[in-house]
Amino acid sequence: MGTLDWMRHGLSGGLLFACFFIPIGHAQPSQEKFIVTYKSQVEPMPLNRIHSWRMRVETTDGMPVTGADIRVDGGMPAHGHGLPTQPVVREIGEGNYLVEGLKFSMTGYWEMWFEIKAGGISEKKKFALDF
Amino acid sequence: MTRLRTGPYLLSLLLSITAPSSITAAWSPSELSLLRLQWLGSLPPLPPDPSNRVADDPRAAEFGRRLFFDRRLSVNGEVACASCHIPGKSFTDGLARSRGVGETTRNAPTLIGAAYAPWYFWDGRSDSLWSQALGPLESPVEHGGNRLQYARLIHNDPIYRDHYATLFGPLPDLSDRQRFPDGASPVGTDAAIAEWRGMAEVDRKAVTRIFVNVGKAVAAYQRKLMPGLARFDRYLEKVFQGDPSGGKLLSIDEVAGLKLFIGKAMCVTCHMGPLFTNHGFHNVGAPDPAMSKPRYRLPIVHRFMEKPEPDMGRYHGVHQSLASEFNCLREYSDATKNDCSELVFANTRHQDTLGAFKVPTLRNVADTAPYMHAGQFATLGEVLRHYNAPPAAPSGRSELMPLALTDRELNQLEAFLHSLRSPPAVSAEWLQTPDL
Repeated sequence: MGTLDWMRHGLSGGLLFACFFIPIGHAQPSQEKFIVTYKSQVEPMPLNRIHSWRMRVETTDGMPVTGADIRVDGGMPAHGHGLPTQPVVREIGEGNYLVEGLKFSMTGYWEMWFEIKAGGISEKKKFALDF
Repeated sequence: MTRLRTGPYLLSLLLSITAPSSITAAWSPSELSLLRLQWLGSLPPLPPDPSNRVADDPRAAEFGRRLFFDRRLSVNGEVACASCHIPGKSFTDGLARSRGVGETTRNAPTLIGAAYAPWYFWDGRSDSLWSQALGPLESPVEHGGNRLQYARLIHNDPIYRDHYATLFGPLPDLSDRQRFPDGASPVGTDAAIAEWRGMAEVDRKAVTRIFVNVGKAVAAYQRKLMPGLARFDRYLEKVFQGDPSGGKLLSIDEVAGLKLFIGKAMCVTCHMGPLFTNHGFHNVGAPDPAMSKPRYRLPIVHRFMEKPEPDMGRYHGVHQSLASEFNCLREYSDATKNDCSELVFANTRHQDTLGAFKVPTLRNVADTAPYMHAGQFATLGEVLRHYNAPPAAPSGRSELMPLALTDRELNQLEAFLHSLRSPPAVSAEWLQTPDL
């Protein structure tokens, strides 16, 4: 069972309005460049309401990553559509970032993709959510 | 070793006892969670509209009610908001494509519960109820008038003048015909546009302000049109109270249809929540009337004919909302930027917007035929067959997947949709023409 599957199954058994704090980046430890964690600013994470996530980016040895350029995207692969909104990411200091304008408009399986560029290094991260 | 396989037999015995002949549905915990989301009791109080400071002022609702039913708000004195949003038809008009002064390209949606939506029109080109109300007033095929004409109506009618002054302060004097001609607008007829260009900027803003306030009063009225409990909601109340038969308020077929709605048919993914809509925009590939018009067989004629363009829905609507002088961020809105997150974070990516239309509420759906953004389907049966075997989309990519529902299941779904009649929970005087 891959990391994504593990997350899907682990999370799908949870509450409908689940709140997650997921450490990410277990797929290929040797290739991992950043440790990314996030937490919804509104708990439980709301369905169909615009809200923000606080995101933390660290190097694999636990140092905060500042000045990262982070692109965000996502959607529901099973339905072939993206996010209902166009979220933006802004840095709030010491390796912390705010992802604003997130909205999950349907129940079901969502994926969030983050492309993180910092210090000449780039990595794509995928998060799984089950509402 | 031989084992007696009792499992399947026991299961079929159990099913034969519990399922087909009984009205009692065994709802699983996850189904009950979904049902609670759909229940009208889960509808939160109507959120304030920071862009409209009179949104919840009862005097504005009364003023708005008068405006809503007033045919003088049109170029020919024959079209009111209520002409296409008829209270006795759940605030729709029963037409495929609405008719005002001319024929529109879209179907009139119900207004019941509309105040909860973040976007208006099928393509979401307005981001507030009040700015939506302004669109048809100046549309050449709907009310056909212009903002200066409407400002003058408020100015010259003593009752409206009083209502207006109470809510918004005294009206500017529009009697100087040099400054304020008979009719003028930045949109509409060439004559109205020419007159508008001839006006001073300060006068244009004064007129637009009156026009905007008309929209804000109409919106205050529409905010009163909250849905009442449907038979479906009363059934759920009983179920939640522990009566598995739900007071027998739904038939066996309706219960089966509800089960399909939240399960196999996946309707609930978009028609989610107590208003049966997630207020989002999705491409469901409804056939486009413009594309199905008869085409000339002779290639030479065909070549010179204008190519029809499909209605691309949200693809254009999102940009129109961002450019609108009446959006949440502009000067006629009473909101601050923090109140405008739907607009600020609006998704403009064409892969998500092309051919997408707003998900309509399904409350009162049995009373609001025809269906889809242009009334493409006359009956609920036609709608359900489209969802069951979706064709390719006229523009963009349809998000639908074949459902493989049987005819019986489609009938059950349709039966369930008839349990969603939710007439507005307001007293009768709000639903009729006031004495003008």
